[in-house]
Amino acid sequence: MTETTRPGGTSPEFAQAMGLVDLGIQACQAYDRLDLATRLAGAKRSLDDPGIYIVVVGDFKQGKSSLVNALLGTTICPVDDDVATDIPTYIRYGDEPRAELLRDGDPPEREPLELDDVGRYVIADEGQSPEDRPAGVIVQLPRKLLASGLVIVDTPGVGGLGSRHAAASLAATSMADAVLFATDASQELTAVEIEFLHRVREMCSTSVCVITKTDFYPAWRKIRDLNKQHLKDFPDMPVLTVSSTLRARAVRENDKELNTESGFPELVQFVTERVAGGAGARLAATAAAEVIAVCEQLTAQFESERSVLDDPAKSQHVLDELTRTKSKVEALRSAAAKWNQTLNDGIADLNSDVDHDLRARIRKLIDEADDLIDEFDPADRWPDIESWLEMATAEEIVANYTRLREQADALSEQVFKHFQEASGEILDRLAVYNPMDVVSRADVEHNIDLEKMNLRKQAMTALKSSYMGILMFTMLGSMAGITLGPIAVGIGLAMGLGGLRTEKKRQLANRRAQAKNAIRRYCDEVNFRVGKDSRDTLRRIQRQLRDHYSTRAEELNRSTAEALKASTEAAKRTKADRDRRIADIDAELDRLRELRRRAEAVVA
Amino acid sequence: MSLVDRTCAALDQAIAVYRGTEHAERLTAIRDRLDEPLRVAIAGRVKAGKSTLLNALVGERLAPTDAGECTRIITWYRDGHTYEVLAHPREGEPRQLRFSREEGALEIDLGGLEPDDVTELIVTWPSQALRTSTLIDTPGIGSLSRQTAARTWEVLADDDETPADAVLYLMRHLHPQDVQFLQAFHDAEVSRPNPVNAIGVLSRADEIGVGRLDSMASARKIAKRLSLDGRVRRVVQAVVPVAGLLAETAATVTETEVGQLRKISERSARSVENLLLTADRFVNQMPELGLTSIERSALLDRFGLFGVRLATALLRRGAVSTATELAAELTDRSGVNELRTVLESLFFERRDILKSRSALLALDALTRTEPRDGSEAVAAAVEEIIAGAHPFQELRVLSALRSGWVTGKPAVLEDLERIIGGAGGAVPDRLGLPAEADAADLAQVAGKALAGWQQRAENPLTSHELAIAARVAVRSCEGILAELSAQKPSVAVPAESGGA
Repeated sequence: MTETTRPGGTSPEFAQAMGLVDLGIQACQAYDRLDLATRLAGAKRSLDDPGIYIVVVGDFKQGKSSLVNALLGTTICPVDDDVATDIPTYIRYGDEPRAELLRDGDPPEREPLELDDVGRYVIADEGQSPEDRPAGVIVQLPRKLLASGLVIVDTPGVGGLGSRHAAASLAATSMADAVLFATDASQELTAVEIEFLHRVREMCSTSVCVITKTDFYPAWRKIRDLNKQHLKDFPDMPVLTVSSTLRARAVRENDKELNTESGFPELVQFVTERVAGGAGARLAATAAAEVIAVCEQLTAQFESERSVLDDPAKSQHVLDELTRTKSKVEALRSAAAKWNQTLNDGIADLNSDVDHDLRARIRKLIDEADDLIDEFDPADRWPDIESWLEMATAEEIVANYTRLREQADALSEQVFKHFQEASGEILDRLAVYNPMDVVSRADVEHNIDLEKMNLRKQAMTALKSSYMGILMFTMLGSMAGITLGPIAVGIGLAMGLGGLRTEKKRQLANRRAQAKNAIRRYCDEVNFRVGKDSRDTLRRIQRQLRDHYSTRAEELNRSTAEALKASTEAAKRTKADRDRRIADIDAELDRLRELRRRAEAVVA
Repeated sequence: MSLVDRTCAALDQAIAVYRGTEHAERLTAIRDRLDEPLRVAIAGRVKAGKSTLLNALVGERLAPTDAGECTRIITWYRDGHTYEVLAHPREGEPRQLRFSREEGALEIDLGGLEPDDVTELIVTWPSQALRTSTLIDTPGIGSLSRQTAARTWEVLADDDETPADAVLYLMRHLHPQDVQFLQAFHDAEVSRPNPVNAIGVLSRADEIGVGRLDSMASARKIAKRLSLDGRVRRVVQAVVPVAGLLAETAATVTETEVGQLRKISERSARSVENLLLTADRFVNQMPELGLTSIERSALLDRFGLFGVRLATALLRRGAVSTATELAAELTDRSGVNELRTVLESLFFERRDILKSRSALLALDALTRTEPRDGSEAVAAAVEEIIAGAHPFQELRVLSALRSGWVTGKPAVLEDLERIIGGAGGAVPDRLGLPAEADAADLAQVAGKALAGWQQRAENPLTSHELAIAARVAVRSCEGILAELSAQKPSVAVPAESGGA
């Protein structure tokens, strides 16, 4: 199979997990449980394309795009002496080079794009109206480095902590599996860069500081040592030095020695081992946990059948028990189920809480803006106030979203608990008649952990596709469409003695009133757009979680029904038939146990 | 009475009012300052190349430069008869410091003082270049040591009084911090925000293309774009690209260095390209070159990789052969000559206005914060000058234009900006004619401009703001014509348009 040749299995667990999932799918198909096979197919998809995000951040003009180009041996990210990268570029694996434009929307729309046109969209274009601005560019390249599912994100430069881009970069790093922080060798890290790094570290702990342009600056060793000093708070953050120019040339001329000199091998090693390897192991564990969950269902189904076969006298009792279980499963599937109510109530609560939080934040912002306007003359500080407001709004929005995310996580955990209480009991009932299984019953606690981990991942996926990363850029990007606008009226030239001061005073009061109005309009618009975005996000989360647990309940339903059917038939079998069937089932159970054992080995 | 005379009179009046108070001494200093050279501060973010540019402008390696953050104390460089370094400690009397010159750069022994204890250093250095302006080297903003950064704010962004009359602001690429800084530097009263006393320098221009030989062309393009950017226009008058290191080295290049560079240029183009691929290679490879790695490192320190590439290319092509020729060529390519021209037309020709402005601002702040018997009269005098003097009216219109407060057809606004001295105060600059244009042409164009602006000022359809601006332009035209007719007897030598 092609999957196994994928270098995604840099970690041995990854290849094992692949194999296990395939085995699990075969088993499900053999037992005619297509619902469970679909579940595993999902797990397989995320192994195939795990989406390990490496976000490249840094101040602007630090050679981020060159770094990405050199790392991948491409020229897809535009590099210009003057204009800087304006929208993020996502580079992932693809058999053929291909590019797509990402537009705002839910889900984001994709338009095919010529590769040659990528540069035109990615770099800053002053003339472009904010509405036309795409949200990002997705590029697929046939690169070995990316085949493991890495997605490298080239971001716009930070441009100081106090900018919209900075908030967007931070938001992006919160979903990143690793962060490459680029800074060039022309100077040591500045106060702004260090502060930014501190905040990045709060979001994502796997990070590396890459010092670029070592070919050009003779003093790069000194800069490196100075930077290491500045970074002594982060002992686990490697400081690497690279020259993108050398690497590009090395790739062009296929020159190994030059490549070593460029410093890139160390960066590649960091990316493949620490980032892809680490994420690969995590993903493998998640997939293996899925296999275990499926094994559990199949085992339970077989075991109830086996207990009837074992002792036909007890068959009525077992069938009664199964029928009772079935009604419990029905209850679990219904809208009145506890987990379902928890979810619905939780989302409603969350909606009003997040909305209230946003309103409170914006109100605070307006107060601060008013103070600022009273302190300064808006005529000359207006652009300042505008950029301050943009920055502060971006920060508040990110904080608001973080709150949403944390609470959504907590809610998802609670829903899980309620679902688990009910479904765990069902699984227990299904399998309770097998005396051999008492030992593995001790694993129940452990299993819950696995399931929980799965759930967490599920929540993450829901959130990832719901609002973070791409959408954060999009959102903040579309905020660029909201402007304060100039406050030109009433600003004039006053000349001559006497008039100068009084006229100035009058104009100032007028300007302040206008400025305050403009701020209110702006905040209203922000409130409206962000509020709608949060509601949409919560609706998506609700749908995602509901679908997830409904499917789980459906699977249980299938398992119970199958068990009931098999048990009913078992009671009718002849003795010889029964013995043959017991032998078959024992063999199947052994196989499932074996599969489960191997999956547990991967998880551990 | 010229603007400086009027300012002096106001100061004398103030000195009389504040006699016997703690402010008297400061007022005398302000008045003395009117006779001193223009004070130009060199500011910018950390490692923008401030000290290097200072050296390039002085033509000597005075200010120490280094790969790490280097300038930690505000240092004044001024002309004088003797060589002397004076430290102003935070506490206690100023004291003289011992100094030596290591490889050209000044090495100052702080004599037991910590950098944090010293508010500023005054370096007195006999130099032709310092005669027209006193240069102030500042620690960068955005520095990791907060103390250092705070100090730059102290000297440049103080609310009521700016020790500098004008500022050269170095930026490597437009950064929000740059704009914020520049706005803080600009003052309150004469008109704000004020792009009148600041010039932007796109520094380390040779690094923009990471050392490609066409880096300077790229830098020019960027500078041009920046000077059209609204945020930049509000705060600086022009943006000039300068490769500071190249300029500094060009001013002091030696025959020995040229000899070393020649050795490199004599190798084949292909091998030189490989050698100069990276700084490390240049230091370590090709032993047959006959240069030690110490010599090579020294060349890199002096020229930078770009400089070495450029110089060897020039030598190989035979474009230059001696140190003098190389110096001329490098100076030319560094962009420092353009900066000098811009400094001349935007700062030095207006030095009286800029200096008066600094003095009046200080005076205005004093009368407001420390009122005293008779100080209202001083304040009234100051306001009269600020509101009435034509040069200030020009400045006010200029900054209103730059802030986009005056609206109209772009071509008209461009004309207006030029006529009121936005591109330089000299008559040909104002009329948009070449410097060598003869008096008759100048007079003809000026006459036409006068008529045009008069019409616009009286046209009822002209917007209120533009009409006011047009009236100022009319006076500017009248001034030009008066100046031209005063010169008529002699051959047309475009003279400065001073106060009047």
